[in-house]
Amino acid sequence: MLDIIFAELVVAAIITFFVREKLAAIIAFFISLLPLLALLDWASNYGFAIINLGIENHMKIYLAGVTLHLAITPLSWFFALMILPLFPVIMLYSYSFFKENDGFFALMLLSLFATFGILLSRDMLSLFLFWEMMSWSSFLLVYRSKDKNAIMSYLIFSVFAAFAILFGIIILWHENSSLLLSDILNISGKLGFVAIASIITGFAVKAVIMPLHAWAPFVYSKCDEPFVAFLSGGLSKLGYYGIFLFLFSLKGVDILQNYMTNVSWNYLLAVFGALSAFFATLIAILQDDLRKLLAYSSIGQLGYIAIGFGIGTPLAITGALFQAFNHAFFKAILFLAAGIVAYRTGKWKISELGGLAYKMPFTFMATLFAIFALAAIPITSGFASKWLLYEAAIQQKYVFIAPIMLIAGVGAFLYSFRILYGVFLGENRHDSVEEAPKSMIAALFILVLPLIIFVVFPGYMLDLMKPALQAAGIESIAHTKFAIETSLAKYNSIAVLITLMVAMIPAFVIYKARKHRVTSFEDNYLAGEPYELHKPAMHAANNYYKPLKKVLLPYLEPGATYYFEKIYNGIKCVSNAVRRIYTGYVQDYAIYVVLFLLFVMGWLIWI
Amino acid sequence: MDMIGIAIKITILIAYAIIGTCTGLLFMGIGRKIVARVHNRVGPPFYQNFIDVAKLLSKKTNISHGWIFDLALLFSISGILLTLLFLPIGGVQLLSTDGDAFLVLYLLAIPSLGFALGAGASGNPNAGVGVMRALVMMLSYELPFVITLIALMIYYDTTSLATIVRMQSINGIKSWAITMPPFMIAAFAADMALQGMLMEQPFDIPVAPHEIASGPMVEFGGKYLGSLMLYKAIALVAETTLFVDLFLGGGVVAHGNFAFVINFIVWLALIFLLFALSILIAASFPRFRIEQAFGFYWKYEAIIAAISLIWVYIMVIK
Repeated sequence: MLDIIFAELVVAAIITFFVREKLAAIIAFFISLLPLLALLDWASNYGFAIINLGIENHMKIYLAGVTLHLAITPLSWFFALMILPLFPVIMLYSYSFFKENDGFFALMLLSLFATFGILLSRDMLSLFLFWEMMSWSSFLLVYRSKDKNAIMSYLIFSVFAAFAILFGIIILWHENSSLLLSDILNISGKLGFVAIASIITGFAVKAVIMPLHAWAPFVYSKCDEPFVAFLSGGLSKLGYYGIFLFLFSLKGVDILQNYMTNVSWNYLLAVFGALSAFFATLIAILQDDLRKLLAYSSIGQLGYIAIGFGIGTPLAITGALFQAFNHAFFKAILFLAAGIVAYRTGKWKISELGGLAYKMPFTFMATLFAIFALAAIPITSGFASKWLLYEAAIQQKYVFIAPIMLIAGVGAFLYSFRILYGVFLGENRHDSVEEAPKSMIAALFILVLPLIIFVVFPGYMLDLMKPALQAAGIESIAHTKFAIETSLAKYNSIAVLITLMVAMIPAFVIYKARKHRVTSFEDNYLAGEPYELHKPAMHAANNYYKPLKKVLLPYLEPGATYYFEKIYNGIKCVSNAVRRIYTGYVQDYAIYVVLFLLFVMGWLIWI
Repeated sequence: MDMIGIAIKITILIAYAIIGTCTGLLFMGIGRKIVARVHNRVGPPFYQNFIDVAKLLSKKTNISHGWIFDLALLFSISGILLTLLFLPIGGVQLLSTDGDAFLVLYLLAIPSLGFALGAGASGNPNAGVGVMRALVMMLSYELPFVITLIALMIYYDTTSLATIVRMQSINGIKSWAITMPPFMIAAFAADMALQGMLMEQPFDIPVAPHEIASGPMVEFGGKYLGSLMLYKAIALVAETTLFVDLFLGGGVVAHGNFAFVINFIVWLALIFLLFALSILIAASFPRFRIEQAFGFYWKYEAIIAAISLIWVYIMVIK
């Protein structure tokens, strides 16, 4: 079955390159549903049993003398469940988003092909091959943005990540003489440490953990929104998939620990995650560009997953996987909704938008729901994941990480409200804007579904990830359908939801007791004066968090980008110095040859 | 639990909701009286807020700005009632016996978010500015507050508010958290955070009547303003109760047959003391600017809270 899916993905990618845009979108939509069939097939065959297929059941590809092994594992099944549904939704959305077919669908299908390959790889070589394929197909998608910063930064960081991963894999292969991921790594000491650390660093680039995040704000803010939704929702999870695979499934954390026992390497990952969450949130608060804001918020929210992996207890890892799942959906909604706003108004700056909520009620509702999930309001599944992570930090008495996580959670309210107020509420500045096309709205609401399902039944989510955790030897935490229990406390989602509904009754009685009249805000605030007179003074969303900006900016100014620029300038200086050797005069080259000969002769005589 | 048990529980829940609302309104009235006396005025009668709310809720003219504006009313009342019912009051927690401090923190955000949505939907720039100030204030006071919260949590090794209250009530007053030196410091920081949470001076920046025309509330009138007054009254009770639960053992002093009544009265007295303290501070200080408030919380208060956290951490790992 897997080989058929792979073949069809490639064929479809080629076909969609040549057909017209609407047809391409339809083909791409149906083809991108195929990998989900493979997941269903797995679930119906094995249920939620912890089954790692033996090597004889792997799908094998013989390629130039090596064998690539592909198979679904419980871990890849869970990650596929959060990443793969994004593709059909994005195709559905793109049906109306793109005016002409310029290769977007073909490249997205190639990305899907590579993503599916990464998740199925059972040996490091195929993992690396598919990883590179994914990097290159997404690079071509980034290239469509025609923005020099985005293209160069994505290219450089991808290449760096690829080298880091390849370096680690080569060491592991050399020491272990096996590339299979089902074998236990038989390596220790300095080499093992270097290999694992380098692989984790490589994956951390795609997982946008600070300070390796510098590419993300450029890329997220300049590319097509459907692609960015995949990049933030899906691709970043592949980075965390790699980290999980090498740290927990292959017990890389023991290798790190055995080499230097006095340093807690896990804790280091958690600290980097916490710093990502904290600083990215503060930077996001101060952004005026909607896409940049979402990019930094994405970095911040992904930081929580790193914290969870870093703390490394079953509770924390459960929370991290839950957070990864939620993030895939709510961040995809937010980026897609931002795309809708730009599609209808052509504007990205929050201070130039405003008052769209009544024009686009459905887009607003989906966005509101995504923001509830992002801000961990307990009426979406976003709360359960954050709660698990907080509990984990308190359980381990991590007194540095816990407050930072919590305050980053509060910071999320600030930038969330900036989106809500600046874009959707406040003064109405667009009279002729309509609601988005139906396919886009449908795409948004499909993504809202999981956020609702898993707030009512948070236990089901833990059931879904149970095989993945147990396959890695991590025990699953106690839960029922509605409640999650830890050693510290218990969270019962249904109690919250029912009480909220009951508490709505008095509110509703007050609301219905007296009639109200709807008036436009111009009538009320301006007392009937012409709106045009007050236009410049009206928009409060302009430079919204000005007082905070004044206080925070001096501390945030020399960010990571500053240091990367220093490195860039250093390399530029060295390269310029090296280039001076090529003067273009034949005499100079002749002198080089003579000098070289002299050097060789001197060396020979010395020997 | 049988049907009668459920019926009794629901009755108690409704009673608590009503008691919470009335207590809040009464306190607000008394607060106005106290401020008036500090300012050497006579002040309105202590039941003035009941009259105000009744008047506002029965007004015939109500101006709305669309369905998002109405969310403010619906979410503020329901969200704050939800929060109140999840808090241990006088040692009795009504819902979710293993209730959780993080849950309460995030439940407290529901009414504020609903309120902010309504304010934003009104389109008045003063409302937008007011919400911005409220959110920045929230970011400011939450830092010292969560640090003290974490200090308590790692000391009692639980995140459940019910457990924190239970462990503090073992020996009556002697086992209250505030009797321990590190938590005395923490309680000071948390009380300052409470001042910001209650939006009293010097931290009444979000409403700031003379600067931004009451900020978020500027477009609210009639039943909308009435419901917001109810929200403010219940929020006052909920926030002071949170403090009492964390540091003052939830007001639990007695165990036995009539303990329920005694504890309830002690709880009432304690939240009144906290509220009176905050009102007295409010009556004697002018308003901070927002950067000053932010600096106050993130520099001095955060350091004070961090000292208590480090102290507790050393105590715990020993």
